[in-house]
Amino acid sequence: MDPSEVEFVAEKEMVTVIPNFSLDRIYLIGSATCRTNVPHMYRSADGYLCVQGDLGPFNPGLPVNVPVWLALNLKQRQKCRIVPPEWMDVEKLEEIREQERKEDMFTPMPSPHYMELTKLLLNHASDNIPRADEIRTLVKDIWDTRVAKLRLSADSFVTQQEAHAKLDNLTLMEINTSRMFLLESLNCMYKLRTNLQHHGGTAKGQEY
Amino acid sequence: METQSYTPVPPGVGMEENFLSLDDILLSQERLPCQTETCFLRLGFVEKSSETPDIAEGTKMELPLWLAKGLYERKRRVLSVELPKVYRDGWRTVFGADPNVVDLHKMGPYYYGLGSQLLHFENPENSEIAQTVLRTFIGRFRRTMDSSQNVLNEDTSVLVERLDCLEKALFRAGQSGLNSFQCWEMGRASHLTASSLVLNYRKRKIAEVQE
Repeated sequence: MDPSEVEFVAEKEMVTVIPNFSLDRIYLIGSATCRTNVPHMYRSADGYLCVQGDLGPFNPGLPVNVPVWLALNLKQRQKCRIVPPEWMDVEKLEEIREQERKEDMFTPMPSPHYMELTKLLLNHASDNIPRADEIRTLVKDIWDTRVAKLRLSADSFVTQQEAHAKLDNLTLMEINTSRMFLLESLNCMYKLRTNLQHHGGTAKGQEY
Repeated sequence: METQSYTPVPPGVGMEENFLSLDDILLSQERLPCQTETCFLRLGFVEKSSETPDIAEGTKMELPLWLAKGLYERKRRVLSVELPKVYRDGWRTVFGADPNVVDLHKMGPYYYGLGSQLLHFENPENSEIAQTVLRTFIGRFRRTMDSSQNVLNEDTSVLVERLDCLEKALFRAGQSGLNSFQCWEMGRASHLTASSLVLNYRKRKIAEVQE
């Protein structure tokens, strides 16, 4: 998978924006397999029956939840102001970083696409996000720690010749970066192991 | 993403070779020391050092793998294959001690491939060879992983020269993952670049033609 494809998947996440225009509710094709907590159809606070693909209504100055792809588009046309997600805050990220460094396992991340969202929001909306550079550095530190843990666990996986491993709380981008290498080396290891089966223990006939 | 003008067939690691894989074709050219068990009539001209018209029984020759595999048959006793140096007991102890010190490129660039192919020839040491090959791979895995994931835009020839061909393919896979991530992070992924296929065709640009 390409990192750009992972970024495309990440753009489905919801973010809060404050528009400066007004527009009635727009009806887009919604997906029932969206990973938000909102059910497919629900009754909103003002009593309207909403379907998941619906967005809006947009009123100037009032915050509204939209997907990231729409938020970036509106921002580029200077029609909104992006509100940073609550985890994109220096103190919070420092806490997360310390916790990640202490634990041996992977800690749950505030968003399953934290890396992509950081890059997208900081590139397009850094004026709306306070202390953007520090946030960038902190997220990079968290990323480096997690990737190092991933490599360690891959190494122990191969060295002990385990049959399968379980890794919780990994995000798609991290998996994607190490996918090709890990798959190829595990394939090679598997084939070298089947050599053993032919000649290691008892002599078997050829398996097909 | 890199596009190629064809999909290369990967080598079959292990006892089966892929017929169409270039790596396997080159692997089958590796020479093995063999000893003939029967007389090959009127083939004396093949071996340059013999004066007799036949190849006598018990001659030691170096045959390429494809020929040795074709001629080898346990029942008719045409050929007996000896192990090359790298797979013998002495070197096996070295690999057992520390696989990382060995320059696998010099020891035959197809250490893993040839080791797996040797298992076709019935040999009492086969299980140890298989074990050693597997353990060497596992021992060197860490270093290959670290070097492929940590080098960026630098000259990788120093790291790659001690690797076997299989490890080189893994190194390239790791590098490509890393490079595409870095490229995306720096925002270069959204830049349009000419495809490598088009560059290879060396199409002349309009400005050059008009001059």
